[in-house]
Amino acid sequence: MFFSSIHKRIKLIFLVSIFLFFLIIGKVFYIQVIQYQKLHKYANDLWSRNLPIEPNRGTIYDRNGTVLANNLTTTSLVLIPNQIEDMEDTTQKLADILGVTYEEMYQHVSKKTSIERVHPEGRRLSFDVSDEIAKLKLPGVYLVKESKRNYPYDTLLSHTLGFVGIDNQGLSGLELMYNSYLTGEYGAIKYFSDAKGNKLNLNEVYEKPQDGVNMTLTIDYQIQQSLERELDNAMLKYNPDQALGIAMNPKTGEILAISSRPNFSPSHYQNYTTEEINRNLPIWATYEPGSTFKIITLSASLEEGVVDLENDHFYDSGSIQVENARIKCWKHGGHGEETFLQVVENSCNPGFVVLGQRLGKEKLFHYIDEFGFGKKTGVDLNGEGSGILFSLDKVGPVELATTAFGQGVSVTPIQQITAVSAAINGGILYQPYIVKSLNEPETNTVILEHKPTPIRKVLQEETSKKVRMALESVVTNGTGRNAFIDGYRVGGKTGTAQKAQNGGYLVGNYIVSFMGFLPADDPEIIVYVAVDHAKGITQYGGTIAAPIARNILLDSIDALSIQKREGSSEKNYQIGEKKYQTIPNVVGMNVNEALPLLKPFKVEYSGTGETISYQSPSAGERILEGETIRLLLSE
Amino acid sequence: MKKNMDYGLLISILLFSLFGILMIYSASHIWAEYKFHDAFKFVKNQGFFFLIGTFLMVVISKIDYKKYYDLSNKLLGVCVLLLILVLIPGIGTIRNGSRSWFGIGSFGIQPSEFTKLAFIIFTSKYLSKNEKDMNKIKKGVLPILGFTLFLFFLIMLQPDFGTGSILVMSILGLLYVGGVPFSFFLKIGIVGVVGVAGLILAAPYRLARILSFLDPWKDPLGSGFQMIQSLYAIGPGGLFGFGFGNSRQKHFYLPEPQTDFIFSIISEEFGFLGVLIVTSFFLFIVYRGFQISLKSKDLFGKYLSFGITFQLLFQAVMNLMVVTGLIPVTGVTLPFLSYGGSSLLITLCGMGILLNISRNNT
Repeated sequence: MFFSSIHKRIKLIFLVSIFLFFLIIGKVFYIQVIQYQKLHKYANDLWSRNLPIEPNRGTIYDRNGTVLANNLTTTSLVLIPNQIEDMEDTTQKLADILGVTYEEMYQHVSKKTSIERVHPEGRRLSFDVSDEIAKLKLPGVYLVKESKRNYPYDTLLSHTLGFVGIDNQGLSGLELMYNSYLTGEYGAIKYFSDAKGNKLNLNEVYEKPQDGVNMTLTIDYQIQQSLERELDNAMLKYNPDQALGIAMNPKTGEILAISSRPNFSPSHYQNYTTEEINRNLPIWATYEPGSTFKIITLSASLEEGVVDLENDHFYDSGSIQVENARIKCWKHGGHGEETFLQVVENSCNPGFVVLGQRLGKEKLFHYIDEFGFGKKTGVDLNGEGSGILFSLDKVGPVELATTAFGQGVSVTPIQQITAVSAAINGGILYQPYIVKSLNEPETNTVILEHKPTPIRKVLQEETSKKVRMALESVVTNGTGRNAFIDGYRVGGKTGTAQKAQNGGYLVGNYIVSFMGFLPADDPEIIVYVAVDHAKGITQYGGTIAAPIARNILLDSIDALSIQKREGSSEKNYQIGEKKYQTIPNVVGMNVNEALPLLKPFKVEYSGTGETISYQSPSAGERILEGETIRLLLSE
Repeated sequence: MKKNMDYGLLISILLFSLFGILMIYSASHIWAEYKFHDAFKFVKNQGFFFLIGTFLMVVISKIDYKKYYDLSNKLLGVCVLLLILVLIPGIGTIRNGSRSWFGIGSFGIQPSEFTKLAFIIFTSKYLSKNEKDMNKIKKGVLPILGFTLFLFFLIMLQPDFGTGSILVMSILGLLYVGGVPFSFFLKIGIVGVVGVAGLILAAPYRLARILSFLDPWKDPLGSGFQMIQSLYAIGPGGLFGFGFGNSRQKHFYLPEPQTDFIFSIISEEFGFLGVLIVTSFFLFIVYRGFQISLKSKDLFGKYLSFGITFQLLFQAVMNLMVVTGLIPVTGVTLPFLSYGGSSLLITLCGMGILLNISRNNT
C-alpha cells in the first residue's frame, strides 16, 4: 500500500520530467526554426568581417552623353593586424615598398583594430606598387579596389562640377550638392573570423558595391568648350581681372555652358585659393550691369505702351538734367535727333532716362522685380548671389534715371541672362537649371528629372517680339554689330559698366559685357559674356565682349544644328567696313563676261580655256568682300 | 546473485559518455590550443576520468548496494570534512570565482560533487528508517531538511549555487516520494521565494543575472553575454547543424564552450536533430532509472535509485533550461556531456549503484 503511494509519486515526477523535456525541445525549436533568420543574421554579423569595396562614383554627362566626370580604378592597401603572422617582417617589407619609415608602418601593422586602412601612404597605389605588394602574399595584407575621380577635360566646367576629396566625398560644386546621389554604397568581401579576428577557413562572401547614381547635365559640351576657349583667349588677349560667360536655352532655362576665369583643375584643387575655387562667378558675382540692363527698361516700356520705337523721337544733346544731376551720354556731344529704336541701337543713356521717367519708379521697379532681380534665381548650384536693388522708398528721380540705364543696381550674370531670356522667349520667366536628370546606373531608370520650370509670365507675346526686333537691329545697325553672323539673325545688347568701389567709381576700370542670342525670330540660344577690367584696349562691350559672344554663337549654330534664316536683315555697314555679298552664278559663262560680276571678290583660276565649268563657293552663298572665289576653266 | 543487470542502460551510458568526450574535443580544442598549446588538453583529462569512472561503475555495479546502508554515515562524514577543508585557502583552490576544488596537478576534485551522491545515500537510508514519521513534519522532515540546509550553506560558502541547489532539490524530490505531504512543499516554495529574494539582496549581481535571460540584448556585453552567445550557437544550427567540428561559436565567441554550454555547441553542430537525440538519451536513462526504482523490492533501494536518477534528471533539465534561455544563467553542468572530471566520475559511480540495484531487482 505504501509502495503504491511511492510509485504514484515517481510516475508523476516522470510525467513532469517528460513535460519539461518537451518544453526544452519546444524552446530549441523556437530558437532554431522560428528565430533562425534573425539569429542567423546577427550571428553572421558577429562572425564576419568586412573588407570594404568602394563603389564607383556616379558618372556626370553633358546633354549628349559626353563624359564630364568619371572614375579611374586604383588599389589601396588594407591590413588585418590579427592575421599578420610576422609583424617585424611585414612592417619592413611594406615600409620598403611604400617608402615610409619602419616606425610609421609599424603603427599601422600593430594597430589594435579589426581592419586598418593604410592612410594616406597606402591609398591609390600605382599598378607597380600594388603588384609588388601582391607578390609578397603576406597574410593579413590585402589590396582592395578603390576608385579615383577623373575629370577628362580637366578645368572644363570646374566651378560647376566641383571636386572630391581623398575618400571620394564631394567637397564643392555639383559633387557636393548631389553627393548623396553620386556616392553609392560600399560593398564588401566578407570573411569569417573567430572572436580574436583570425580568419576562419570558410568561404568568403562577395557583396557587390552599389555604384553611385549617374547625372546628366543640361550642359552642351561643344558650347562649353567653345566658351572655355573664348575665355582663355580673352585672358591672353586682354589680361582682365576676371571673365565669365553663360549660355542658356532661353525657352527652357537650361544652362548650356557656364564658366569663368580664374578657374581651377579639380584634380589638383589643393593648389588653388578658396576664392578661386568657390567663386562660381556667373552665379556669384554681383555688379552693376550697365547697358545690358536697358533690355529690362525697354521691355517694360514696350509692355506698358509708353513708347513707339519707330515713330517717337528724341533729341540727344549729349546729356540730360535730372534734378541736380546732369547725366551724360556715353557719346560725347550726343546722338542728336533719333527715333527710340535708334536710342536702343545707340544705347543712348539720356533716351533711356526718358523711358524710365515715362514709366515711373513704381512700374520700372515692378518689372525689375517681375524679371527676378534682387533675389536668387534658384538655379541648382550652390553659392548663388542675390544682387542689390534700391528699396522703392529710397528711389528719387536720379536713382530712377540711373536704374533705367543699368547703373546703381547690382545684379548677377545668371539673373541677367534669365531675365533677358524671358524678355525674348515670348515673355515667360523660367527658373534656370543645370541638372537634367539622375539615372540609376545599372538600369538607367530615371530617379529624378528636371523639367523646364516657368515661374511667371512677364511680357505679352507681342511685346517680346518687339524686344527681339529692337535687339536684332542693335546688332545689324547699332553698338552690337561686332556680333553679327550673316544669315542667322543675331539679336543682342552691349554693356559697359564702371566698377564701383567704396561708394565711388573706379577710373578706367570697367566690366564690359554682351548679351546675344539667335535666331532673333525664334531664339534657341542666348549667350552672356562679361570681361572685368580688360587691359590695353578701349573698354567697350561692343569691342571686347561682342566678338567673344559671336564666336560662341557661331559654334552653337553647329552644336545645336540651327537652320539658316530666310530674309535675314541686312547689316547696316559703316564706312570702310567689309560687306557680305551674294555670289552670282557664273558657271557656263565666258571669263570676260563673268569678271565684272565678280568685282567685289578676289578670283583664282585653275585649268585652261575661257569657259567657266565650276565655281567655288557656289552661287547663292554669301562671303565677305575681298574673299576668294575659285573658278575651273575649260575649253 | 546471478542476475542480469540492465545492459541497455549500461550501453546507453557508455555511448553517451563517449559522445560527450567527442563533443568536448570539438568544443574545446580551439581554446585548449590557445591557452595550453595542446588541443587535446581537455579531452585527455576527461578521457582519463571516463576510464576511471567506467572502471568504478563496473566495480560498483558488482557491489551490493545494501552495504552503503551501513556506510552512509561514514561516507557523508568524509564529504562534510572535505567540504570544510576545501574552504581553507591553500588547501582548496579557486576556479571561476569559487573555492570548490582540490587541485591535484592539472586535475581538480570537487568535494561538493561527492557530497551530492553521499547525501542521496544518507537520505535514502534516513527515509527508509523513518518511513512512519515522514508525514510528521517536525519529527520526520525537519531534521533531514535542517541537515540539507547545513550542507547547502557549506557549499554556498565556496560559493557554488548550482551544485547547492541541485543538492537541495534532489533531497526535496526524495522527500516527496518518501511520503511528505504535498502541502509542505508549497510552504517550502514560499520560503524558497523569500530565500531567493534574500540572496539577491545579499549580492545584487544575481538580479541582473536573473533578469538577463528574459532579454539578453539589454546588456549584451555584461549579464546577457553568455546567453546571446549561446543563442548564436543554437539558432544558426537550424535543423541539421553545421556538422561535427564546424561550430563557429567555439572560436572564442562562447566562453568555455566545453563546460556549462556544451549543449549549445551540440545544437550548433547537429541542429535540431542532435537536440532530439540528446534529449531522448536523457529521457531514456531517466526512464530506466525510474523503472529500476519502481521494481526495487526494498525501500532503501527504491529511494536510492530514485534519488540518483532524480538528481541526474534535475541537473540535466536545469542545464538545458539555462542554455536555451528558459531560466536564468546558473552554473550547472550537463551530466555525461559537460567537461568536468569529478562530475563525470560521480555520475558514473551513481550509475554503477543504479546498475547494481537493477541487478538485484529481477
